Amino acid sequence: MALGSTPAIACIGIIGQYDNPLHISLFPPREHEELEMQFLLNSSLDIFDIRLKNKMVDQDLGLLHAVDERLATYGWLTNTGIKFIITIDMMGRPSAEITSNPQARNLPPVLGLRDSDLKPAFRAIQNAYIALLMNPFYTPEMRTPTQTMHALGKSAEITSKKFKSEMQRIGRAWYPGITSI
Amino acid sequence: MAQPATVPGAEPDAAYVAMSCFDLLLIELVPMAERLAREYEASLDVPSIANKPPAKTNTSTTGPVTPTTYDGLPETEVFKDSVYFRLEKLGFRVGLALSERFSRDRPRLTDNLDVIKFVCKDIWMIVFKKQIDNLKTNHRGVYVLTDNKFRPFSRMSMQTSQEATIRAQPHLIFPCGIIRGVLSSLGMKATVQAETTDLPGAIFQVKTTQQKT
Repeated sequence: MALGSTPAIACIGIIGQYDNPLHISLFPPREHEELEMQFLLNSSLDIFDIRLKNKMVDQDLGLLHAVDERLATYGWLTNTGIKFIITIDMMGRPSAEITSNPQARNLPPVLGLRDSDLKPAFRAIQNAYIALLMNPFYTPEMRTPTQTMHALGKSAEITSKKFKSEMQRIGRAWYPGITSI
Repeated sequence: MAQPATVPGAEPDAAYVAMSCFDLLLIELVPMAERLAREYEASLDVPSIANKPPAKTNTSTTGPVTPTTYDGLPETEVFKDSVYFRLEKLGFRVGLALSERFSRDRPRLTDNLDVIKFVCKDIWMIVFKKQIDNLKTNHRGVYVLTDNKFRPFSRMSMQTSQEATIRAQPHLIFPCGIIRGVLSSLGMKATVQAETTDLPGAIFQVKTTQQKT
């Protein structure tokens, strides 16, 4: 584990209950890897299905898949079937950036992530999503992606500016060991 | 000073509004839907039955027919469908948001019965400040929810109880929509119908087709 960098969120993905993509946010250094991240999110859906079939799952699915030495995906499944997927880049941000945050300065170098490290991030995403549903100007998509494509011609993703900026805030503020975002 | 009652399952920093505002909103929903349905009907090119003069009927012994709509004009199919779809769709959207907000942090709802119980206990407590009084099922996908003192009906009365039940019927559409919205977001496709036989009771019938996986 390189000591000069800390894990950081590379991508936040939100997939609806009909497996329709709702939102994807990318963070440095992977801001331009949209296609790879979409592929990763799509393949994570299979893991949700497998876990559901086997046993009763809690909301927090924890580590879904460690892709390679740097990337790992963590998942969260709400009661309503909405899936939040966070992709972590283990060498995402240079430590110097993080140590400007006074709370992070006293943390030891990170060797691995616990599942519980991601809980504050997932809770914050869930709060933002619930706030979005409370917005009367947002109608949730109730169709599968193929049906939406036939009807609208493109995917019905979240367009709310407030939601997008909240996702950006969460992704940039997270560091391992943070208690609430 | 008395502490205001809090809603179980709400965030600690949630904002609260007086319940009477919600009661007044529900009262106004049905006349608004009917008014908009009349406007829609008037905007159609096809002349509907409402525009034709009523045919002279034999004088019967039952006397004048009580109007069942808020403006006293006859109901047409277009009007009835418009009112129904508008109110049901509103309730559906509210149900989606309610279930998302109040099903968080609860243990996973595994089968259809758990979802119905969530509606009977939690959703009803949040929306109407009480639980469903009776739940019956035929174990083949039909659930009957009985509320003996349905909150929106608690202050309704007319000259005869038969008039009152007829006039109260449209006020059940919005709660049906709420139930359908909550069920749909929790993975249960169903149809919801409601009727009232004696105020202030209300009976909701939920028919679902497939078992939740």
